[in-house]
Amino acid sequence: MDSLEIFAVESIVASEQEFYRKIIEDNMASLRLAPAIGRIKVVLRPEDSLFQMAIILRDVGTRVTTVDIADVEAKPVAGEIIISIKKEQYIPELLGKLWERYGKANISQPDRWTVAISTDKPEEEANFLKDLMVADPRHRLHENLVDFAIRVTPEGFRVRYHLYKGNRFIFVASEEALKREWIEETESMLEELIKGGKK
Amino acid sequence: MAVLRPYLYTGGVHKHGLLIELLEDLGGYIIQKVVTGTEVNIIMLIPEKDIPIVKEQADELLGMMAEAPLTGVEIAVVSPTLASHHLPHSACDVAEYLRHPGANTNMIGLARGMGRRVSLSMDYERKLINEHDIVVFTFGSFSDCIINKKPKLFEGIEIPIVVTGGPDLKTEEVAGSDLYVGNIGRTSHRLRKSEEVSALDKLNEEVGKIADNIRRQQAKDPLAVLPARVMKEVENQVPEIRTVLSPAPLTLQLNGLRVKLPYDEFHERLEKLEFDEGVTLSELANISRSKMKNYILIKIKSKSDVGFAI
Repeated sequence: MDSLEIFAVESIVASEQEFYRKIIEDNMASLRLAPAIGRIKVVLRPEDSLFQMAIILRDVGTRVTTVDIADVEAKPVAGEIIISIKKEQYIPELLGKLWERYGKANISQPDRWTVAISTDKPEEEANFLKDLMVADPRHRLHENLVDFAIRVTPEGFRVRYHLYKGNRFIFVASEEALKREWIEETESMLEELIKGGKK
Repeated sequence: MAVLRPYLYTGGVHKHGLLIELLEDLGGYIIQKVVTGTEVNIIMLIPEKDIPIVKEQADELLGMMAEAPLTGVEIAVVSPTLASHHLPHSACDVAEYLRHPGANTNMIGLARGMGRRVSLSMDYERKLINEHDIVVFTFGSFSDCIINKKPKLFEGIEIPIVVTGGPDLKTEEVAGSDLYVGNIGRTSHRLRKSEEVSALDKLNEEVGKIADNIRRQQAKDPLAVLPARVMKEVENQVPEIRTVLSPAPLTLQLNGLRVKLPYDEFHERLEKLEFDEGVTLSELANISRSKMKNYILIKIKSKSDVGFAI
């Protein structure tokens, strides 16, 4: 699935459709969601105070392990492991995991690209660290997706329903109590999205 | 009484004191002076017949003079709430753009203004809005909401109402509004495309017309004293105003001014403010506690109320 291979915004008034498309684009850009969304359809019915959205997500990268972002080198003589960082963006997550395992006292950062760990079993630990899962983009994606849904919905629509399962996400929001058929409509929007588009 | 014209001067800080001195000699008023780094922006009122003299001085200082038709107008920019859906774009862009021609704008976010059926304004908010000269409501992108649901927010508002929104509507379609400007709806980006900027230009132009209209109405029954003159007297007689750090410690309005000093401490001194003609301010104006913080609001009475004008 390509990113944004389907991007549909539907509303009765054509000009409002364009305005809303722009709002969705802007919010997608600021949350860096565009590469993660494969197909998206939004239906607006202001006269019913209703907002419906269905999204199919793309496969968003694999989990990030230490070897993906750094070189791990064991120094048996010194009783140390040296981690040379290649991708800085994951340092907070990596450090959090390392502190949990080795304690803050055993970890030092001589400079911004290096993390040194003192341990009794450098070889074994280095092998373990190489496969350590540092970050899971899916988790971050979930957070962003919820944020995205709230940002693009008109503000007064405070009654919300959402479903996030695998790579499928539906979101319904209104000012009034939600009707069962609104959710069903959104589910059938999702079905359409699954069928449509290039495989 | 000399006719005063509002102008904005933009130039270097170097020797700008000469311009201020000249203005004082001519009997003009400085409304606001903002120094940013090596630049200075001065908003001023110049007696009409002396404009060429001031222009000459400005040319000598290599500065620029531009007419600022919204000088001395305090505008409330009201957004349904202060949530990220409406701010900073487009409400802040509207407020910022209205400042270019000299207006002072205050942003007001209603507590429960969002939504269709559920939106409402509080008595306190309406009173606060009514303290201004003009109000600009920044609404969203749905014509159904703007036409059918949002106008209930206008109830109880006595000043001219300007509405901005996404769809291209006519002013008559938005019941209760005095002006509708389209193409400024809900956005999540800065308004800088050509059609957006021209919508903002149109907003400025039309709001300027509304302000002119108010001025024309006022000319039929003029104020007992010019707000700019009260401003100058406050500066002279209440020196504490110079220690106020808020932007525009004295904010001019079309029929009064807002003094950003605590009411309890200073209202008596303002009531006793004396003019050369021997009258005090309390004879010429109503002085009350502003709904904005604990400031003082001065609303000047008209000549017909007082019986004379100075």
